[in-house]
Amino acid sequence: MNLFWREMKANRKSLIIWGIGLLFMVVAGMAKYEGYSSSGQSINELISQMPKSLQAIIGTGDLDLSTAIGFYGMLFYYLLLMAAIHALMLGANIIAKEERDKTAEFLMAKPISRTRIISSKLLAALVNVVIFNLVTLVLSLAMVSHYQQTGEQLDDIYLLMAGMFLVQLIFLAVGAVIAAVGKRPKRAAALGTVLLLLTYLLSIAVDLNEKIEWLQYVTPFKYFEAKRVLADGTLETTFVAITIVVVTILIAITYHFYQKRDLQI
Amino acid sequence: MNIFLHELKDNRKSTIIWTLSLVAVVVLFMALFPSIAKDSEAFKKVLENYPESLRKAIGMSLDSITSLLGFYSYVFTYVVLCGAIQAMNLGVSMLSKETREKTADFLLTKPVTRTQIVTAKLLAAVVSLILSNLVVIMAALVAAQAVSERSFDTKAFLLISLTAFFVECMFLALGILISVLVPKIKSVLPLSLGTVFGFFILNMFGSVIGDKAVRYLTPFKYYDPGYISKHQTYEIRFIVIEVIFIIVAVTASYFIYAKKDIHAV
Repeated sequence: MNLFWREMKANRKSLIIWGIGLLFMVVAGMAKYEGYSSSGQSINELISQMPKSLQAIIGTGDLDLSTAIGFYGMLFYYLLLMAAIHALMLGANIIAKEERDKTAEFLMAKPISRTRIISSKLLAALVNVVIFNLVTLVLSLAMVSHYQQTGEQLDDIYLLMAGMFLVQLIFLAVGAVIAAVGKRPKRAAALGTVLLLLTYLLSIAVDLNEKIEWLQYVTPFKYFEAKRVLADGTLETTFVAITIVVVTILIAITYHFYQKRDLQI
Repeated sequence: MNIFLHELKDNRKSTIIWTLSLVAVVVLFMALFPSIAKDSEAFKKVLENYPESLRKAIGMSLDSITSLLGFYSYVFTYVVLCGAIQAMNLGVSMLSKETREKTADFLLTKPVTRTQIVTAKLLAAVVSLILSNLVVIMAALVAAQAVSERSFDTKAFLLISLTAFFVECMFLALGILISVLVPKIKSVLPLSLGTVFGFFILNMFGSVIGDKAVRYLTPFKYYDPGYISKHQTYEIRFIVIEVIFIIVAVTASYFIYAKKDIHAV
């Protein structure tokens, strides 16, 4: 339990900074909605008939930017990216930092098993991710309801946040696995970043060409896209299932490898 | 000179990895161009059923974004994103790594002034960036010639490609400034990733909603490919802003570093 609180405290500052970033992003982003002149029904309709690749280049996709929730959907892309970066860094650093800061000997000499160390650390990371998610949720609800026109549904925000949480879990687990399995803990965050950039760019490439649509299973950024979630009103079961399986496997690997890890001191 | 060569050698591996990844990104995205061009042709047929005013408005922008240069500008955003992360990493780690890796007292007791140290390291970072840009630009040019059926404006293409280096220089300067201001940097990546993605998100969001003030805030927006391909030149005021920013940041870094308290082991 001490370890858990220690980790919570160690991550407090960065969580606060991220929270301020989120506040800025959501408040300033939604404030732009007021100034956003909707391009009118006919253009919206026209855009919706465009091939998907062209929609992607124009940048709006088939979100209806004239509604507050549609506009929020666009903002959600960037919130998702922020959440993924946060989760990945957290997952990788929370495990790798002991070796990086040369505190591994101190920690490992304590009378607790490695399994418990990992459990406490992952739990602390999970709580951080949940707080990140809740902050986003509260800010989003407040801002979208402030700007919404009457009769718009806000339930979709809960759904989007659920999707974001699942993506956060994936990246958290990916970060943890890289740090636990990789030989050089210092490279963990860097390697994770490469992976994150790769999947992010891949998600854009998938938008540009329908022939490589199967790649959407590889990149978590495509799992719970705002445009699809808002159109369907639900998270796709396939992707939820993939997330659960992937996260479980990654966490299991983390535990397994950290048990036998040769610490770099 | 020794420090310069040592730094270059130190940067070698990461520069090679970044360069290869950037080349991969450019080639992957340019390979998608033929299908975009086809989509665009198909969509123009759909457009014929719409009133002429609308057709003109959309058709014009459609032509410019689905030409080779237009598509390259779109892809290029992501190349600049990766390049900026690379530059910011170089900038932040350049001086802070000596403290982190406990080599500061070794280096600073050598008979060279701190000014010379900063100069040598700065030069090495710039040379790494130049080399990596040269390779990426060549690869982009070859890829563009391979996918384009019609000839395109090579001069504008090169002018656009060069802007990556300008943006990278800004992030390099920003990185150095941050690294001398922050007392202790434990790990570089979260810092540089957070900053670069912050500006990037601002840029993407700003371009979708068409906000003018954002242009001055984020380096990603300083060099508008549309303007460059039209006028074959850069916008003077942004060059001026960039030069002033770099001079201020770098000079400040020299002064601060010269007097900075550096902790030995």
